[in-house]
Amino acid sequence: MLPPVAVLMVAAFAHFSQEKAMEAAVSSYVQDLAESMAYRLSTEVRLWNIPGEPFSAAIRYRIFSWGPSIPGWVAYINDEGKIIMSSPGAINIAAIWQQNLPIGSAARVNDKDGRQYTLAVYPVDRGRGYVVAAVSWDQLLGSLVKIGRLWPVLIVMVSLGSFWAIRLLWRRLISPLKGLAAEIDDLRMGKDIPNTVDPQAVKEIDSVHNALIRFAKAAIDRDNLRNRYVRDIVLVQEAERLDMAREIHDGPLQDITALLQQIHMSLEEGEDTHERIKKTERLARVVVRELRGLCDELAPPWVDLGLSHAMTELAERLSQNYDIHVSVDIDESFELGAERTLSLLRIFQEAVSNAVRHGDATEVRGYMHKEDDNLFFEIEDNGRGFDSSVDHEVLRLEGHRGLANMTERMSLMGGTFEVYSTVGEGTRILCVLNQKPLV
Amino acid sequence: MPIKIVLADDHPLTRAGIAEYLKREKSLELLGEAEDGLKAWQLIQDLKPDVALLDIRMPGLDGVAVAQKVKETGLSTATIMLTSYDAQQYVMASLRSGARGFVLKTVSPKELTAAIATVARGGLYLDPEVASVMGEREFDPEQLSTREREVLVLAAKGLSSKEVASKLFISERTVQTHLASIYDKLGSKNKTEALLLALKYGVVTLEELLED
Repeated sequence: MLPPVAVLMVAAFAHFSQEKAMEAAVSSYVQDLAESMAYRLSTEVRLWNIPGEPFSAAIRYRIFSWGPSIPGWVAYINDEGKIIMSSPGAINIAAIWQQNLPIGSAARVNDKDGRQYTLAVYPVDRGRGYVVAAVSWDQLLGSLVKIGRLWPVLIVMVSLGSFWAIRLLWRRLISPLKGLAAEIDDLRMGKDIPNTVDPQAVKEIDSVHNALIRFAKAAIDRDNLRNRYVRDIVLVQEAERLDMAREIHDGPLQDITALLQQIHMSLEEGEDTHERIKKTERLARVVVRELRGLCDELAPPWVDLGLSHAMTELAERLSQNYDIHVSVDIDESFELGAERTLSLLRIFQEAVSNAVRHGDATEVRGYMHKEDDNLFFEIEDNGRGFDSSVDHEVLRLEGHRGLANMTERMSLMGGTFEVYSTVGEGTRILCVLNQKPLV
Repeated sequence: MPIKIVLADDHPLTRAGIAEYLKREKSLELLGEAEDGLKAWQLIQDLKPDVALLDIRMPGLDGVAVAQKVKETGLSTATIMLTSYDAQQYVMASLRSGARGFVLKTVSPKELTAAIATVARGGLYLDPEVASVMGEREFDPEQLSTREREVLVLAAKGLSSKEVASKLFISERTVQTHLASIYDKLGSKNKTEALLLALKYGVVTLEELLED
């Protein structure tokens, strides 16, 4: 706001200075004119220094018929203020002539049309009469006056324009920017969404604001997702603990209890305990087998046999558990490292489990091939299939974590996971993995 | 002459238990004990036992790797894998590394003695608990065709169907058909079981398995 105000002030100062300068110039001009006329009309002055011979009347009054040789008008008035003689065009003087004008100095007057004049009155022969000289500002200064009047108008217009532009700038840019900065300051990422866009703001700020809204929404989505994951992890952990507790309770715990009972009976019977010890030995074997199965379930030790053997072992076990055909065909030369092998084992396990539980499949085949550095692992079943266009995330929220888990496992390994299935036509899963170890 | 033995297991209690079995048996002589694979390999080279009992999972060098070294250096020591794991893939890995026996740690002293005696004679011994899935019926090796036998031997060496197909100049589908027929004849549910049964019934010998 300050610059246009300053410009306006400087312009006003300049305008008044110019007015003053013009007025001074016109005043001194008119005074000179009046003074010289008064001198010329004075009967006491001798021209050309001719003794005893004052100006002849003709020379003295010639000016009133010809008019002054410079711009302006002159008139001779008597001491009653009546115009005795005047130069051509001095009729104007009559129109603007005011009796009370100070004598010897210049005064500025306007005629009824608003034109400006400057007048000066000088006495002739000590009050015998007076010379009135007048000049029109337009006549003397011409275009200077017009420009002098035009440029303040221009300056005011420019200043008003600047005011308007600055106001616009404020409303549409600075104010929205300040609002945006305050919003960013107060924004709690992952919790808030910024207010809707200021309708006055320019569209670039709009875009920035919209981007901020998008970021904030993404942060909220990400936080929600993370919370859901954390909840899922907790749920899965609890479910697994429950499963494990149930397995130990129903399996080894029962067996060891039975074993203990056998030992107690042997102790009480004292003699002929051979049969009972044989029974005890059988029970102990069962306990070992069950615990071994539990360990295999938790962390299959055969992962260290390498991809091909580990997958084959799993396939054969799954085949036995579900009593369906499960096979894999993986070249022994394919290597992935224990961690990624375990992930593929879990994916295969989940796929077979899904195929049996949801698809009633009787055959599942795993097949791996290699192109350049990429390993392609395909799993096909002959089950009922499903609509694979459904978002895994939606399924996960409904409590079916299988596909989402498999997708996550693959993405953790830097690979991709795709499911192709149509209702009634079985399911095909494709995992693609770069064989190079992850950095 | 008692059979000379070296025992390797990283679990001290298990090792002590098995050592006690071995010491009790007059026909066996325990020369040394090792708590890891490297020590086991050292003892086998130094003591040259008839039989080495090796745990599969040991720090340093695992049992399969020790058996591999024994096979590669041509020592006369026969190796038996002694393990807690009943995975059939361990059995196959052990046999391919040159082991002649696969015994679970829950084995009875009588069974362990039998296993040691069998491998010392040059035979093959698989724990009944691992082998129990294979059934006990008689099988005539002649029931498999020559092509089926070829497919089985290559598969036993760990080749994939694709590799077997290219080795025999037949299609992969034909290999699959042969395998299905082999499973059917041997009464097995899968490839590993078929291989173990084939070894058990003498359709394929351990020597064939170890050939390059």
